[in-house]
Amino acid sequence: MRTLEISNLHKEFVDAYTGQTVVAVGDVSFSIEQGEFVSVLGPSGCGKTTVLNIVAGFDTQTSGSVLVGGKQVDGPSPERGVVFQSFALFPWKTVLGNVTFGLRMRGVPRADREAVAHQYLELVGLQGFEAKYPHELSGGMQQRLGVARVLANEPEVMLMDEPFASVDAQTRRKLQEELTGIFETKRPTVFFVTHDVDEAVFLADRVVVLSSRPSQVAEIVTVPLERPRHWRSALDNPDFRHTVTYLTDLLAAGEPNADESEDAPETSAAAGAVGEG
Amino acid sequence: MTNITPSTSGAGQPHPKPGPPKARFRPWLVRMGENRVVRTFGPFVPVILLWWIIAELEVFPSAFFVGPGTVFEKFDELIAKGILPAYLGDSLERLFYGVLFGMLIGVPAGFIVAMSAWARKLTWPLLMFFQAIADIAWLPIVIVWFGFSLTAVTFVIVYTIVFPLMISIVSGVEQVPRDVVRAARSLGAGRLQVFTEVILPGALPAVATGIRTGLGYGWRALIAAEIIVGTSGVGFLMFDSRRAQEVTGVFVGMIVLGVLWFALDALVLAPFERRTIERWGMIRTAEAGR
Amino acid sequence: MTATPASRRGGHLPRRLSAAFWFAVPFVALAVIWAIAVELSGVERRIFPQVTDVASAFAEMWRSGDLFTHTGASLRRMGLGVIAALLTGIPFGVLLGSSRVAAAFFAPLLRFSVALAGIAWIPFATLWLGYGERAVVFIVWNAMFFALAYNTMLGVQRIPTQLIRAARSMGTPRHRMFVEVLLPGALPNIVTGLRVGLGYGWRGLVAAEIIAASAGLGYSIFLAQKYFRTDIIIAGMIIIGALWLVIDRALLAPLERRTVERWGMKAVNL
Repeated sequence: MRTLEISNLHKEFVDAYTGQTVVAVGDVSFSIEQGEFVSVLGPSGCGKTTVLNIVAGFDTQTSGSVLVGGKQVDGPSPERGVVFQSFALFPWKTVLGNVTFGLRMRGVPRADREAVAHQYLELVGLQGFEAKYPHELSGGMQQRLGVARVLANEPEVMLMDEPFASVDAQTRRKLQEELTGIFETKRPTVFFVTHDVDEAVFLADRVVVLSSRPSQVAEIVTVPLERPRHWRSALDNPDFRHTVTYLTDLLAAGEPNADESEDAPETSAAAGAVGEG
Repeated sequence: MTNITPSTSGAGQPHPKPGPPKARFRPWLVRMGENRVVRTFGPFVPVILLWWIIAELEVFPSAFFVGPGTVFEKFDELIAKGILPAYLGDSLERLFYGVLFGMLIGVPAGFIVAMSAWARKLTWPLLMFFQAIADIAWLPIVIVWFGFSLTAVTFVIVYTIVFPLMISIVSGVEQVPRDVVRAARSLGAGRLQVFTEVILPGALPAVATGIRTGLGYGWRALIAAEIIVGTSGVGFLMFDSRRAQEVTGVFVGMIVLGVLWFALDALVLAPFERRTIERWGMIRTAEAGR
Repeated sequence: MTATPASRRGGHLPRRLSAAFWFAVPFVALAVIWAIAVELSGVERRIFPQVTDVASAFAEMWRSGDLFTHTGASLRRMGLGVIAALLTGIPFGVLLGSSRVAAAFFAPLLRFSVALAGIAWIPFATLWLGYGERAVVFIVWNAMFFALAYNTMLGVQRIPTQLIRAARSMGTPRHRMFVEVLLPGALPNIVTGLRVGLGYGWRGLVAAEIIAASAGLGYSIFLAQKYFRTDIIIAGMIIIGALWLVIDRALLAPLERRTVERWGMKAVNL
């Protein structure tokens, strides 16, 4: 079953200063299956965050459609929880208060929401920190809280907007490994935006590559890695390295080039049909 | 693992572009909104209009509330008689002397307290306490000491300016990054040079903030002092009119005070802040104090 | 609510005692200098009273009950004005802050009003509401309202977009945004506004009592001036200063400690 279906998404806006029309998203179509992890990879400024914002309901498209669970997206909803690059935790709420926030908004009774919260705090390894305030946690712990806060709502799809971009390199590796672990046990549907090729490949089942502005789907690459995944073994895995190299070349070329698809074994280059460019 | 979902994007057909009239209208409105003069003074137009309408409709009795027309006539009359210019001159003179002496005392005193740990320890509680005695509460004793005079009013204004100024200088000096001081010392600056080259300029934004806060209080003290001491000045004009049950005079005084503050802000405070804070790209510490 | 780390509370007893000692030393020194100066200069004690004169004036005010009448009257007016300002200024500020157009429109008007708020309204207040209680409360409210509304507006505007988006994507209904996000998010600036506003309000109270009341601390020192009782004036000034410190220490500081500082949002304010 398709959880998320994006078709012919197009977004343009009028620059307030110059009065010119800017195309942020050219023509993007792809879909995500239930329980699938999809990374959206693209050069900076290609509008991948815009796509995420439209799916989240923060922004509206100029044309095209976004369906989640068969329904048209209309404004933000707990069905599409967002993990932000800036964490966006509520500084005035404790760890527990942040995790239970969504459930409280839905009117779940206190005992129930705390039970759910404890379960997810344990999942991300934050048990024992319930009474702390976000500023008392390290960056890595803050983002784990950000993930737990969204998962506690059991969303149809979890949207992640470069969630590990503002933590240090070592913590990032650790968080990525933890996120795969969580994904392998809970099987949420994940829409993960990043500009980091290694991260995109390591985490995802498929990688959607966007071209630079006006963005289009350059290619959709299936990652040929078994789960459970670990960094130690992934780095030694030739399939992993090949996929990373292939995607790196793809991004460097800027323009999609269908001829190179054979260089990457087991990738499915067929998907990214491109408009006239 | 998962199936490949052939998500074919439709061949790029032309997307509807937003109509040109809409595109042109928005920037026009936006551009108008960006004009500083429009942004600052625009909002007053509907307010004055509303004032005029309320007065015309006679919602309130005219003994309590008069329209812009009446106020303007009174304004004209007060200028013609020379009362307003004279009173305005008196108020400005008091404010000027108050600020001048306030700075002459507050700036050096602030730096002494900021630079010496001992001076700090001994004076900080007193600073807090004297700041806490509302400046206006000094008026009665000051009247005993100096009579109903310019000195009495000036004393109160000096008082209101000195303490906020000293307190913000102390916090401003504290905020000069330690590494900058260390950098200067390791580049060969002596103690005095560190002060003149690093700490003094580093604390200037705080001086600007302190002056703004101090003036905010000093301004109110001036009005209160003129009402209470009551010999001349814009505050006196307002209260004198009130005593005579002449609401128009109160309106005139209010508007003069408002315009005066705007002028003070635009001609003195803002340029000073621009020159110190913004030029060095420092973050404003107390935008809120306005 | 939850256990506050002891270190935040000022630490163990010896440290607090030493802090109290160092707080008291300057005041004792000031009193000694004052006493010696009056003694040596030979200034007329009617003009500049001796420390002991002020102390006995204070005792006299205590015994006659004047102290409590005036303090009570002042605090009640201040309390009423502050409550009115909180109830009106904060919602108004949030309302303005949540609309960019409204904020752009009202910002210059509010800044203009902040500059005039309080004392300058005394002639109007007494004209519209007569001399007495209502005029004084009006002045306190007026002195605080604009500063509070303006700073609340700034605070709401400074809440990171991501926080509002996070709340919305977790299903926060519109009518709960105020309590759940806007109010706590704007709190650092609200506290600033409260501090500025209380300062204006306190001064406005004293001025309004001097001009328009028949009880209260401002009135009492002005009355004393008419009878040339400088000892009572200075005693009254000390009470005014001490009360303000109590308001600051007992209300504002704990509010800041429990909220803005506890939540690690202090930096936004600085």
